[in-house]
Amino acid sequence: MSGQQGQDAKFFQRGKIEEFRTELQAAESKDKKYQKRKTVLKKIVANITMGNDMSPLFTDVVQSLGAPLLEIKKMVYLFLMSYGRLKPEQIHIVIPSFLQDCNDRNPLIRALAIRTMSYIPIPVVLEPLSEQLRHCLKDRDPYVRKTAAICVAKLYVADSRKAEKGGFVEMLRDMMLDTNATVVANAVAALSEIGDRQDGVIFKLNLTIANKLIAALGESSEWGQIYILDSLLRYVPEECADAEMMGERVIVQLQHANSAVVLTAIKVLLYLMNYMENRRLIDYICKKMGPPLVTLISSGPEVQYVALRNILLIIQRRPTVLKNDVKVFFCKYNDPIYVKLAKLEIMYRLARDENAKEVLAELQEYASEVDVDFVRKAVRSIGRLAIKVEGAADICIQALLDLIETKVTYVVQEAVIVTKDIFRRYPGKYEGIIPKLCENMDALDEPESKASMIWILGQFADKIDNADELLDDLVYTFLEEAVEVQLALLTATVKLFIYKADSETAKELVHKVLKWATEEVDNPDLRDRGFMYWRMLAMNPNVAREIVLAEKPAITTDSDRMDRGALDQLLLHTGTLGSIYHKNPETFIRNAAGRALTDSPALNANSRSVLVTLRPQLPSAANINVAGPGPIEPQPNVPAAGSSRPAQLISEDAGPGEERDLLDIEESTAESGTGGDSGEGNVDVDVDADDDDPRAAKALDPYANLAGAFGGYVADQPQPISGTSQRGGELDDLLF
Amino acid sequence: MAIDGLIILDSAGRPVIQSGYTSHPPAYPIFHIDALNTALSKATRPEDVDPVLYVPPGFGGEGSACCHVEIGGLRLVASVSGDADPLVAFAFLQAFQDILIDYFGTVNVATLKDNFDTVYQLLEETLDPSGHPLTTSPNALRDIVLPPSLLSKLLASLSPSVNSTHPPKISCSGANAAFASPIPWRKAGVKHNHNEALFDVVEDMQSIVGRNGVTIVSNVWGKIETNAKLSGTPDLTLTFTNPQVLTDCAFHPCVRLQRWSRDRSFSFIPPDGRFVLAEYRYAPPQSVVTGTSGIVPVPLVLKAVMDAGEFGGTLSLTLSSRLSTKTMENVEVEIYLGEDAIGAQCAASSSGTGTVGVGEGGGSWTFDPRRKVLRWEILSMRTSGSCMLRGSWTSKAKAPRPARAFQIRFDIPSYTFSALKVDQLRLSGENYKVYKGVRGRSRGSIEWRW
Repeated sequence: MSGQQGQDAKFFQRGKIEEFRTELQAAESKDKKYQKRKTVLKKIVANITMGNDMSPLFTDVVQSLGAPLLEIKKMVYLFLMSYGRLKPEQIHIVIPSFLQDCNDRNPLIRALAIRTMSYIPIPVVLEPLSEQLRHCLKDRDPYVRKTAAICVAKLYVADSRKAEKGGFVEMLRDMMLDTNATVVANAVAALSEIGDRQDGVIFKLNLTIANKLIAALGESSEWGQIYILDSLLRYVPEECADAEMMGERVIVQLQHANSAVVLTAIKVLLYLMNYMENRRLIDYICKKMGPPLVTLISSGPEVQYVALRNILLIIQRRPTVLKNDVKVFFCKYNDPIYVKLAKLEIMYRLARDENAKEVLAELQEYASEVDVDFVRKAVRSIGRLAIKVEGAADICIQALLDLIETKVTYVVQEAVIVTKDIFRRYPGKYEGIIPKLCENMDALDEPESKASMIWILGQFADKIDNADELLDDLVYTFLEEAVEVQLALLTATVKLFIYKADSETAKELVHKVLKWATEEVDNPDLRDRGFMYWRMLAMNPNVAREIVLAEKPAITTDSDRMDRGALDQLLLHTGTLGSIYHKNPETFIRNAAGRALTDSPALNANSRSVLVTLRPQLPSAANINVAGPGPIEPQPNVPAAGSSRPAQLISEDAGPGEERDLLDIEESTAESGTGGDSGEGNVDVDVDADDDDPRAAKALDPYANLAGAFGGYVADQPQPISGTSQRGGELDDLLF
Repeated sequence: MAIDGLIILDSAGRPVIQSGYTSHPPAYPIFHIDALNTALSKATRPEDVDPVLYVPPGFGGEGSACCHVEIGGLRLVASVSGDADPLVAFAFLQAFQDILIDYFGTVNVATLKDNFDTVYQLLEETLDPSGHPLTTSPNALRDIVLPPSLLSKLLASLSPSVNSTHPPKISCSGANAAFASPIPWRKAGVKHNHNEALFDVVEDMQSIVGRNGVTIVSNVWGKIETNAKLSGTPDLTLTFTNPQVLTDCAFHPCVRLQRWSRDRSFSFIPPDGRFVLAEYRYAPPQSVVTGTSGIVPVPLVLKAVMDAGEFGGTLSLTLSSRLSTKTMENVEVEIYLGEDAIGAQCAASSSGTGTVGVGEGGGSWTFDPRRKVLRWEILSMRTSGSCMLRGSWTSKAKAPRPARAFQIRFDIPSYTFSALKVDQLRLSGENYKVYKGVRGRSRGSIEWRW
C-alpha cells in the first residue's frame, strides 16, 4: 500500500530516509525559528501517517527533542509513539527529556510525556514511567490525571506485576471518586480494560461505588457515560430493590443524543431487569426502551444496522418492547440490503394476529423486488408468517400461490420450501394446493427446494394420483443429485411403496433406489439409511409402515426463539460485535472476555434456572465447529468451544482459589458465581413468565433441536443459515 | 469496548492517514484495509457492504471487525475487536467527522493532506492508545490542538520570542481552561461582543405510500440545530407554546433531563458554537375519526401510470402539492428502470394556476445511464396546480423490471410539519441581552409505490 499514495501532495513522498536525514542535519545550523526543522519533521510525520516506516531516522529525530517549540516537541513525540518500542537499545537517549517534560509547568507537556512513555513498553522506560505516574495520578491538573489513568492500563498491559505491586490499581480505584467526571470516566475505562484481561484483577462494583458512578454520569462526556454505564454490568445487585432503584436512575440516559450511550443504557437496563421483581417497573422500562430504539432506526444505515441486529435480540427476550411498532421496520426500496434483511427478520418477529395483514402486504411487495436474495427471504417470511400466525395462514397460502404463478424460478423454489413446512404445521388443511406445486416441478433446480418437493410427494403419495410417475422422473438423476436430495428421494420412495404396495412402479422404484443407496453411493448416511429401510421393509412391512408414516408432531414456532439462557448471555453483549453476529464474542474472537449473569439472591428465578456459567478457558481452545446444518449458537449445557473464564475475572495463572480481588467487595458473590457448575440439565428451557407472551406457556418443542433433520431448515430458526446454503457465501449466516 | 484504530481511505481505497495501532502487529491495519477493499470490489453497490465487516483471524491477527462510513468520497474506517461496541465506533467516526469539519470546513483528501499534522494530533487527542475515545467536544479540543488558522496566527505573533530557552506557553492556559471548566462541553471564560442564540428547527419526513395512494408509514424526525455565541456561563431556558408535538426526544448532554420531564422546557448551559440541542419525533395529534396516530399526511400526491412491456415501457406521472400556502422546492422524483435500461424520452409540462414561473414549466428530466435512473426535477412547485411527466423508456431486456417505487425528495423552506413554536428564551446567570432567532425548514423523502 505504501507505494500508491497521491502524487500531488508535496509531503507525501517515499523512500526519502536519506534525504530527510540530510535535511535534519542541515537544519542544525542556520535554522531561523526552527522553520527548516519543522518542515522536515512534518514530512516525516506525514510518512508515518501513511504507514511508511520511518524508524531508521530514530537517532536523527530525537535530536530535535531539545528544540524549544511545542510544535516540534509534539512531532518528535508522535515519532516516538510509533517507533520507540522498536528501539530498545537506543531509547535511553530520550529518557532525560521524558523526565524533564514530566515535570514541566505546562500540564499539556506533562501529559504528553507520560502518554508517550506509556506507548513504549520497554523496562528501561517503564521504570521511570511508574515513578512519574505516581505523581501524575495526583497531579493538580485534571488533564494530567485523566491521561495518567489511561497510562496505568498501558503499564498493566506491559507489566502487570509491576503495576499491581506499585499499587496502581488501588490508586485507580480511588480515582473513581475524583471530583472531575472525566477523570472518573477514564479511571473506570482503565479498570475495565484491566478487568477484561485474562490475567487481570477482578473489577467489581459495590452498591456505594455504583451509585457514585451514576451520579457522575450527568457531568461526563458521552464517552465517559459509555464507560461508566458499561461498568455497571460489573455490579451484581444483592436485592431486587437495589436493581430497581438503579434502573430508575439509568432510564433518563435513554434520552441521550449519542446512539452508543442509548444502547449501552439499554444494555444496563436489560441486565438489571434480571434482578428485579417489580412487574410494573419492568413493564415501564420495557415501554421506555421502545422510543429510543425507534429513534436509532432514523439514523444513518450503519447505526440502523447495529440497532436492528440488537433489536432482534431484545424483542426475543422482551417481546413487549416495540410490540406495536412493526411499521417502523417496513423496508424502503433504497435501503441497503443488510438493513432490509435485518428489518425483514424483525417484521416477522413482531407479526401477530393484529398486524399480520399489514405485514403480509409488505412482504408481498418485497417479493416483487429485484434483489434475488431479498426476494427469497421475503417469500420465505411469508411462509414463516403462515406458520406463526394461524389466523393469517389462509391469506399467506393465497399469497404464496400467487407468487408461484409468477413462474420466477427462485420465487417458486422458495415458495415450495416454505409450503412443505406449512403442510407440517397444519396437517390436512392445505393439501389441496399440491397439484399446483406439481405443475411447477420443472422449475426446481436447487437441492433444498427439490428435497422439499420430494418430501411432499412422498408424504402425500396417497393423495397424489401420479406420485409414482413424478418420483420416477426424479429418481432418474438420483446418482447425480446432492445428498440432501438423495436422502429425500430415498425416504419418499419408501413412503410411496408403503402407500402403494401393490403398484409395480413403486416396487421397482424403491428397489432401484435402495440398491443405489446401499451399493453405489459413498455417503455413509445415505448408505446406512438405505440399509435401515431395506431391513425394515424386509422384516416386517407393517411395522415399517407404522414407523415411516408415524404421525409427526406439528411444527410450532416456539422453537424460533433463541434459547433463553443463551439469550440472557448475549444480551449482556448488547451493542457489541457479539450482538451483531448473534454469537458470544469469545466464540469468534480470540481473547474476548466472556460474560454471564452472576447469581445473587435477587436474580430472577427463571434467569437462574438457565444460568450459563463460563468455564475457564481450556489450554487448547481451538474452536470446534461441526459443519453442516443445525444451530451453531452455544447451547446452555454445552459451553461454546473456546469460551473463556468466569465473568468475575479471576486470575487464571494464579492457580485455583487464589482470587486476587483487589477491588474489595462482596466476596460471597464471587464464590457463589464461580462455585456452581450450573451447566447441566438446562435443555428444556422455559420461557420466562415475565415476557407477556401468550405463547410463553407452550415452549417445549421436541423439534427445537432437530434443525438438521429436515434439510437444514426448520421453519423458524433464529440461527444463521448453515453451510448447506450455497448462495450468499460465508457472511450470509451472519445476516439472517 | 475499545476501538483499535482509525484509518482514512481515499476513494481508491488507499490509506491517507491512519492512527498508531501501537498495540497491534503492523499488518493489522493492512488486513482491515484489504478486507474492506475486497468487500467493496465484490459488492454490486458499495452501500450494500456490511457496515460492520468481519475480518477473520489472520497471520497473528485476531478475529475483528471493521466499521466504516463513507464521507465525501473518503472512507473512515474504525477497527474494533473483542468486546467492542460498533456503535461506539460509529458514534466516534461521526464525532471525528464533525471535528474535521469544525477545524477545516470540509473533509476531502486535499484538506487532510494539507493539514495532516493537525489531523494526526486530533487523532491522538481524541482516541487514546488503548482505543478509548477521549475528548471529542470541539470546545475543549480547540484548546489542546490549535486549528490551522489560529496556529499560524499565534506563531506569527510569537516569533520574536521563539529563540528563548523556555518553551512557549502556547496552550498552557488553554489546557487548564478546558478541563478546569466544571462543564465538560463548555470552556470557561468565553467572550463574545455580540451575544446571540440561533435555533434552526429542521424536520425530515420519511414516508412510504402504497400503490393505492394510502400512506403506509409516515414519520417526521426533527432536530434543533443551535448556534450559541454567548459570553460567560449562560443558563438558558427555552419554552415552547406547543411542546406536546415533541416525542421520543434525544438531547445534547447539556439539557437537564429532569427539567424536561417536569415541565417540558429545555433548560441548559450551551456549548460555545454550533451543536444539535435536541432531536425528536413529531407526534401528530391523534385523529378522532380514524383513531390512527403517528401518520403525518404527505404534502404531495403522485399519480403514476407505469407500463412495462417488451424492451421498455411508458410512464405518465402527475405530481401536485397539497400544501396551501408554502412553495415546495427542489422536488425530485426518481425511478430505477432496471439494470438493462438504455434511455428514456419524456416531456414535462404543467397545468393549473399555481405554476406561473417562466421557463419552469413542469420541470426537467434526465436519465442517468450509469445508475439507470430516470430523474425528474422541479425547482419550485406552487401550491395549486400540478406538474406532469409523460414519456417512454427503453431497455435491452425483453422483460425489464423497473423498481416498484418512485423516490420523491423535496424541500419546504420556512416550514415545519410540527409547527413547533418557541414561546420564549430566558437567560439567567449572565447580564446581557441575547439576540434570538428561530427558523424552520423541512425536507422529505417519500417512497411512492406504483
